[in-house]
Amino acid sequence: MSEVIATLKKDYIYNLMIKGKRQDGRGFKDFRDIKLETNVISKAEGSAKVTLGDTQVLVGVKLQPGTPFPDSQDEGVIITNLELNPIASPEFEPGPPREEAIEMARVVDRGIREAGAIDIKKLCISVGESVWIIYIDVHVLNDDGNVIDASCLAAIAALMTTVVPNEQQGIGADVPLAMKEMPVGVTLAKIGSKLMVDPSLDEEAVCETKLTVVSSSDGSIAGMQKMGPAPFTEAEVLEAIDMACEKAAELRELYLEELVKKE
Amino acid sequence: MSDKPEKLITDDGLRLDGRHADEIRPMKIEIGVLSRADGSCYLEWGRNKVLVGVFGPREAHPRRSQRADTAVIRYKYNMASFSVEDRARPGPSRRSIEISKVSREAFEPVIMAELFPKTAIDIFVEVLQADAGTRTAAINASSIALADAGIPMKGLVTSCAFGKVDGQIVLDLNKEEDNHGEADFPVAMTQDGEITLLQMDGNLTPDEIRKGFELVKKGCKEILEIQQAVLRKKFETPVEEPEAEVTEEAEESELEAVETEPSLEYAPEAALVEKIIEEAKEPEEELSEETVEACAVNEEAPECDKVEKIIKDAEAEVVEGEALKEVIEAEIKEKETEEEAFEDEAEFESAFEASFEEVPEPEELEESEFEENVSEDETEVEPEIKESADEEAQPEVETQLEEEKAEVEEESQLEQEIQPEEEVQSEEEVQPEEEVQSEEEEVQPEENDGTEEVVSKGTFESEPGIESEAESRKEALEQIVEEPEEECKGPWKVVKDPSESGSRGENDE
Repeated sequence: MSEVIATLKKDYIYNLMIKGKRQDGRGFKDFRDIKLETNVISKAEGSAKVTLGDTQVLVGVKLQPGTPFPDSQDEGVIITNLELNPIASPEFEPGPPREEAIEMARVVDRGIREAGAIDIKKLCISVGESVWIIYIDVHVLNDDGNVIDASCLAAIAALMTTVVPNEQQGIGADVPLAMKEMPVGVTLAKIGSKLMVDPSLDEEAVCETKLTVVSSSDGSIAGMQKMGPAPFTEAEVLEAIDMACEKAAELRELYLEELVKKE
Repeated sequence: MSDKPEKLITDDGLRLDGRHADEIRPMKIEIGVLSRADGSCYLEWGRNKVLVGVFGPREAHPRRSQRADTAVIRYKYNMASFSVEDRARPGPSRRSIEISKVSREAFEPVIMAELFPKTAIDIFVEVLQADAGTRTAAINASSIALADAGIPMKGLVTSCAFGKVDGQIVLDLNKEEDNHGEADFPVAMTQDGEITLLQMDGNLTPDEIRKGFELVKKGCKEILEIQQAVLRKKFETPVEEPEAEVTEEAEESELEAVETEPSLEYAPEAALVEKIIEEAKEPEEELSEETVEACAVNEEAPECDKVEKIIKDAEAEVVEGEALKEVIEAEIKEKETEEEAFEDEAEFESAFEASFEEVPEPEELEESEFEENVSEDETEVEPEIKESADEEAQPEVETQLEEEKAEVEEESQLEQEIQPEEEVQSEEEVQPEEEVQSEEEEVQPEENDGTEEVVSKGTFESEPGIESEAESRKEALEQIVEEPEEECKGPWKVVKDPSESGSRGENDE
């Protein structure tokens, strides 16, 4: 998602960075304002909308019975898709997903999968024949930077509010989706030699590269992905991990723990 | 996917395929395997088989993809449908699209694309057989193919993954470990250690990641050495100074015994290697002369200390040689008649010379060595070497002889030791010609004794053992595969960069 950006603006942002400032006055470790709404789509088994600055992401979760994979016959299946909707940016075009979309979808997916967020053993309807397939569909409604973090947060929030529609299949009462973990993704943008969380659209255009770190509540890392052409040094990666874990813990406490309490 | 074995790491710390935790699978690289591509590379890494073709810089199509200020780098990772157990659906998958993107980004920092505006540099990766770690294998191969295509780069990109298996951080997961392991963490880095690709899935703590980085840096360094060796073999212009080359070999084999030890610890075939090294030591001792020469050649090399030691030993021998010289002196006056004696002296002299003068670049060796390996016929190679060596050696020898004469007078003991060498030489029958044998020739005896395998021993003590082990380990590998491996071994074994550690041998398979 590299928007065309004026060289002047690039210089401006870069020079601000050198002074330790950001365009919108945030510190390097500050997220923009986050608003999280859940159950926004009643037709979906679970849904959440995250507004991160002006970035808007909507996630809907649908469950359908299907056949399990042969190597995991008693486990549910997670399928994550991410749409960079043309409505979200003049850069986006209709058609098959671009590689950025695929990459982000897979990063979101890996975070949820590898952190063990969902208790997929409880999604088995009958072993080897039928299991619940969870479709996590991420719709980017407005791209103002850092879609990936908004998507991670919205996806896990949507899953936490998901109800397994057992009644619809005649296999008992509806139950909330069994969750085990709350992975949170935090993306660090590297501008010059500095790392900053939650890059805005302009900052994304200026930054040389980004690193997304998905971490679990115990501080372990469930997934990472470097996105962008420039390299990181090892020290930067380690610093990014620490920053990401710290911010993820904050986000988890502020937004996801709230969800747990509500229920 | 098979059921998970009870233990992926045995109690003695070895993995299912016999590797240690910090050991990469054997890697084999061939360069320039596709005639139509501008650059190409075939790489085998464990059971992975990857073919990479590079095209460009060429006109970018469609035109709107062109960029006015730089070349467009395009990287297409594709898995053959037969590369995995369950047939993969042909065409791009979401996985391959993602891998293509991150791999492209792994190269963008090093490719000097700004030199070729409005063009495209296409990197096409075909995974022919997959066994975990294909994206890292593809990146390693692409580095070579790009270099083969002559595309300006700031350095090579190397890639290696670490992961967690049975709670332990290990390097370069194979398929089984990948399937049942707890984490996979592929990394690509430049020669400067900057990370150009970083992905991770699984479950790792920050501390484990720190530990993993150490492993990955080591793995990438080893891979880089292999890559460089392959490129040297193809692109280095041979300089006609075989002596230095051979000497280096001898030196390395000696030094390896010492230097290699740390790396052996983690090497999978450590036990075997050690055993081989011990065996190898005996012949080496006999060869002390050669080693002396080698040491002399590399005086400037980092291993100076060791070399010095060797030189001292050699000096003792030289004394012996001097003794011989007494006998020989008379002959020398007549010169041509007594060639055998002359040869001995010449050897010593040349050794001396080497010690006084800096000897040429080691790199040439690759080619000559390679030839040896390929042809297996040393006699073929030797004549060439001799010619060049002789020309240089003779005048030098004379001057040296004079110097030595003074020394020779002192002692006359070691004739016995010298004799074995002579025998060796005669055995080989290397010397149809009168000319003083160059250091190379001297070394050759060793290699010749054992036939080819021995030769490889000289270069790499560990190889024979490794090969056998590898064979037993990888039943799956067809003979065809193995054969090319041998061919490939030639190149990077040969490259003797003093800084290289002995562990390189393990990588070769």
